[in-house]
Amino acid sequence: MKLSGTAVLGLLAPGLAAMAVLYVVPLGVYFVNSFHVFRDGRILPVWTFQTYLDYFTDPFSYKVIAESVRLSLVVTGLALAIGYPVAYALQTRVRATGTRALLALLLFSPLLVSVVVRTYGWLILLASQGLVNTALRAVGVIDEPLSLLFNTRGVVISLTHIMLPFAIFPIYSVMGRLDRDLKDAATDLGAGWWEAFRHVTLPLTMPGVVAGALICFTLALSAFVTPRLLGGGRVQVLPRMVYNNTVEINWPAGAVSGLVLLALSMAAVWALNAVLRRLPSV
Amino acid sequence: MAGSLQVLPGAAPRASGAAGGAEVDVRTVTKRFGTVVAVSAVSLTVRGGEFFSLLGPSGCGKTTTLRIIGGFEHADEGDVAIDGRLMGRTPPNRRETNMVFQRLALFPHYSVFDNIAFGLRMKRLSETEVRRRVNEALELVRLVGLEGRRIGELSGGQQQRVALARALVNRPRVLLLDEPLSALDLKLRLQMQDELKRLQRELGTTFLYVTHDQGEALAMSDRIGVMDGGRLLQVGTPMEIYERPATRFVANFIGDANLIDGVVEQVEEDLAAVRTSAGVVRARRQGGEQPGEAVAVCVRPERLQLAPPGGGLSALVEDRAFSGLVVRYRLAAGPLRLHAAVPYHSGTPLWQGGDTVTVAWDPRQAVVVRER
Repeated sequence: MKLSGTAVLGLLAPGLAAMAVLYVVPLGVYFVNSFHVFRDGRILPVWTFQTYLDYFTDPFSYKVIAESVRLSLVVTGLALAIGYPVAYALQTRVRATGTRALLALLLFSPLLVSVVVRTYGWLILLASQGLVNTALRAVGVIDEPLSLLFNTRGVVISLTHIMLPFAIFPIYSVMGRLDRDLKDAATDLGAGWWEAFRHVTLPLTMPGVVAGALICFTLALSAFVTPRLLGGGRVQVLPRMVYNNTVEINWPAGAVSGLVLLALSMAAVWALNAVLRRLPSV
Repeated sequence: MAGSLQVLPGAAPRASGAAGGAEVDVRTVTKRFGTVVAVSAVSLTVRGGEFFSLLGPSGCGKTTTLRIIGGFEHADEGDVAIDGRLMGRTPPNRRETNMVFQRLALFPHYSVFDNIAFGLRMKRLSETEVRRRVNEALELVRLVGLEGRRIGELSGGQQQRVALARALVNRPRVLLLDEPLSALDLKLRLQMQDELKRLQRELGTTFLYVTHDQGEALAMSDRIGVMDGGRLLQVGTPMEIYERPATRFVANFIGDANLIDGVVEQVEEDLAAVRTSAGVVRARRQGGEQPGEAVAVCVRPERLQLAPPGGGLSALVEDRAFSGLVVRYRLAAGPLRLHAAVPYHSGTPLWQGGDTVTVAWDPRQAVVVRER
């Protein structure tokens, strides 16, 4: 069935309208504000590059950008490193499809709980008298409680947990589509488990890894709640700058920070899509 | 080239020494998946250098048997010996077998060359040696010039050849083929059948071929094992199985068959008299038949002779189909339905639908088949 042009437009209209109101208009406001300046507690509606200039000449801006990117990279790397084996085990070691579906559901169930709630959960777990420290001390791994809160460590742990389903899902789905005979063929041709994995399974599931990396990186880059609650005042990332500027009514500075965040996300999307295009399709 | 003999590509690999085909001995192998018995006490010896086909409908256990021989599945009971060595739980990478998979399972991220080279590289051969042997294999399957292509850029027949080369380049003692031609169209399939036969002859490798296509099995195999419901029903040369099918299932599955139900009335030296709805019919015995046993008489359609009415078994011509080589008739003799295939020569007078004919056959061209 082929839809007429009007019908297609009709179907797209609600989505387009929502995008316009919720995304394009605020972005436009942002854009306009980024060319204004904030002085003496007021936004001056003059047209100038001054705010950009201030932003990019302030060493602190670069510190925040670096911190944001570093945090996102670490979280993405950890989520993939933990998520890949999980997806692999789920697809290759769990034979019964029912069990597999149940386990997958369990893995994705944290998504049903708000990030705020999960972050508070980590707050309790990671406290110096919390479960993690108590357990580690009980088994004698450490003598003094580790400081896991209000620093980058806690943020990394919690963000990794939050990102994990987003890392697992694309890998899990690509791996599910992989022809199981391919691994058998590699084994038949003399490959051991590791060689079959390295030469066949891993390269052919890279599209899932890249897709997972893309989702994790962009989400981690824009994460606000977790760095805010678990980082105390010490983890300075871009979304916090945007927030701080905005509550100080310094919209121009917030807008520039926000646009930098957007540019970084877009660069990541572009780069990883370029990688994805060069990968073989399964 | 003028005046010189054309050298057959593929002559070289033999000279460079395949180790010769190994004997495969399947010893009362049973395999269950949950409550389903996929393979039930199958015993089978495939001789070294033989082209052996496992033939049966889908789900008969033939692929599972092949996968057990290749090491992809493990038998619950029994074992497989390759050249006398028990395989047990030896993984596929430590067996002298290579497999051509039904869906080929070529590596999509590798070129033709890298696909074929995979096994050699796993053996850590030098790149010079790898290149030499891959080129040899390319010649063997007639794919020279395509080594740089991606798998997705090849036709079905070419992919088929890559899969063959990828397995054969390792010089396996036994080549396992799991319905490798099923995805090809008829013409290409026939061409590949010839090709496989040629390769097997040239290399002397034991070929163990799984198929549900009886024509394919008859055309290529030295011997055939017919399977159904996890059990091996009969092993024999194509001619033996066609001429003396052991059971009703085998008779039906291999070639066309007229199966006339009846009860053994009398057993003679090498013939048996069977009471059927078409009267008492005599057919060759296979041994073991007892008077009173319910059996069927199997007569191949081309063994039926049609004559003008008068005496013998009378039948009505229901339908006629001309296929060049033969004329096929559908006949009704009372409740009995028969098929006849009469060789066609130009000028042969043909029977018409509605004609009455006399159907006859030489009892030595018919055979008694038992139920199981």
